[in-house]
Amino acid sequence: MFNVDQYAYSNRLRVVHPGEKFTFAILTMVICLGSPSMVTPLVIVFLMAGTVIFRAGIPWRIYLKLMSLPASFLVIGVATVALSISRHPQNMLYGITLGGVAIGVAADDLGTAANLFCKSLGAVSCLYFLSLTTPMVEFMLVLRRLGLPSLLIELMSLIYRFIFVLLKTADDIYTAQSSRLGYISCKRSYLSLGQLAANLFIKAYTSSQILYTTLSSRCYTGELKVLETHYPVSRKNIIVMAIVDLLLALITLSDGGGIFGKIHN
Amino acid sequence: MAKYIIEAEEVQFEYPDGTKALKGLSLAIKEGQKVAILGSNGAGKSTLFLHFNGILRPQRGKIRFAGKDVRYDHAFLMNLRKNVGIVFQDPDTQLFSASVFQEISFGPLNLGLSEDLVRQRVNEAMVATEITDLQHKPTHFLSYGQKKRVSIADVLAMGPAVLIFDEPTACLDPMLTCHIMELFDRISQKGKTVILSTHDVDMAYSWADYIFVLKDGTVAGEGPPEKVFQDEGLLRQTDLTTPWLVEVCCELKNRGWLAPDAPIPRTKKEFFECIQSEGDFSGRRYLPATNSGETLRQRSSSLKIVKGSC
Repeated sequence: MFNVDQYAYSNRLRVVHPGEKFTFAILTMVICLGSPSMVTPLVIVFLMAGTVIFRAGIPWRIYLKLMSLPASFLVIGVATVALSISRHPQNMLYGITLGGVAIGVAADDLGTAANLFCKSLGAVSCLYFLSLTTPMVEFMLVLRRLGLPSLLIELMSLIYRFIFVLLKTADDIYTAQSSRLGYISCKRSYLSLGQLAANLFIKAYTSSQILYTTLSSRCYTGELKVLETHYPVSRKNIIVMAIVDLLLALITLSDGGGIFGKIHN
Repeated sequence: MAKYIIEAEEVQFEYPDGTKALKGLSLAIKEGQKVAILGSNGAGKSTLFLHFNGILRPQRGKIRFAGKDVRYDHAFLMNLRKNVGIVFQDPDTQLFSASVFQEISFGPLNLGLSEDLVRQRVNEAMVATEITDLQHKPTHFLSYGQKKRVSIADVLAMGPAVLIFDEPTACLDPMLTCHIMELFDRISQKGKTVILSTHDVDMAYSWADYIFVLKDGTVAGEGPPEKVFQDEGLLRQTDLTTPWLVEVCCELKNRGWLAPDAPIPRTKKEFFECIQSEGDFSGRRYLPATNSGETLRQRSSSLKIVKGSC
């Protein structure tokens, strides 16, 4: 998670207008999810991987590691789609029969599972593209422009900021405890961890009160108004992104017929 | 005579848990001065600061800003906080935004300034605190010293007349402490009143124009640094130590190497100038005791010449 956050601030696509990146990621994701064929999602997976690794400069090992996380979840998820229990084993590609009930993989289900897997992976790579190239602060800027209530955005920004403060506090308490042998045995570990959690709550409460004081000192009246940084809008980027998305849509249409067509079995 | 910008009159304050933080404290701070507030932990320094910008309200007594009694209605408080900025001790509790730029823009935006003006104020504050190159970094990747400077820029951008720093040099390395003190001098040169609390007596002695010493929620002593730090009774009573410059000069006076009425230099630089212009000072240190009467007289006379430069 912290890798993602660090790369979001240091990648080469940081300077690109967050609105452009957001639009590109969402539009591509819609095409990916709407595609009836497996070709488009696969193209998108490679396209996004290429963009993130070569354009944004994220090391490929890191990207592969990040992708393997949702991929492993997906494998387990689609396995339940592929496997089926039936009284007609003749429909199955492979299966075992136990007392008249067959457990196995049917050809239709296998297609659906593969399709689902590719689509999900495509969608995930779109989201990775966004989160690896766009810092949270800039993402919230886009949400503000989209008209999300400011209360939600303020909450988001405070939570985001204080995740780091909270983790730092927890880490400090943990270090203090373990340097006094707080985690020497299983029993002590449970005790120390419980104390850590309780103290963290109290500390969080105290620092929230101090935060309120410090904000009030700067004339806080209930709304966290902040100024946004300007980003240049690049016409070139917009054209490139439009062409890429158009091509993706064309692939989808020529292969599967109709963006909103039924899932190809 | 300079007028008083902040005055406290018989201020009493007790926290809900029963801690009596301020017990009839009175003080007056002159406009444009550099003021250091000293006192042991729990003497009431931070509580006093929160009274200066109206976060806390005295249960008895009065706070005055620029000669006017502080009222606790919305409009007055907003104006007070615009003019009295506090930089808190722990930057992590003050910085609420993950973006340095957004963080600094918060204060001036609350003042209702136009976007262009806010942008200008933010940029000026970043230049003054030398953090312009950090503006695109997230606050959680900054070091403690960098966060400290962002928290100073936060308040600087609001353009207050009075800046209050709660233990600004605690946890800073010597180099950064030096930088921050220079920054305070620059702020002060712009005619702003700078108030800070500290435990560093050497720094307070060299930097401040005026010193207040707090003890148990009251002012135990006040005055120009050279007066406060030569008051041994006061120092003992308030658990303070003597700055090394004062200690060294007193020792020199006791040994007769410095004229008894010579003023004590305020900074290390002044002190070195003092002893450098005294050419043969070091050579005569080892003279036999029998000659001391003569050498003392010589030294005293030559030091009297030096006096003017000190």
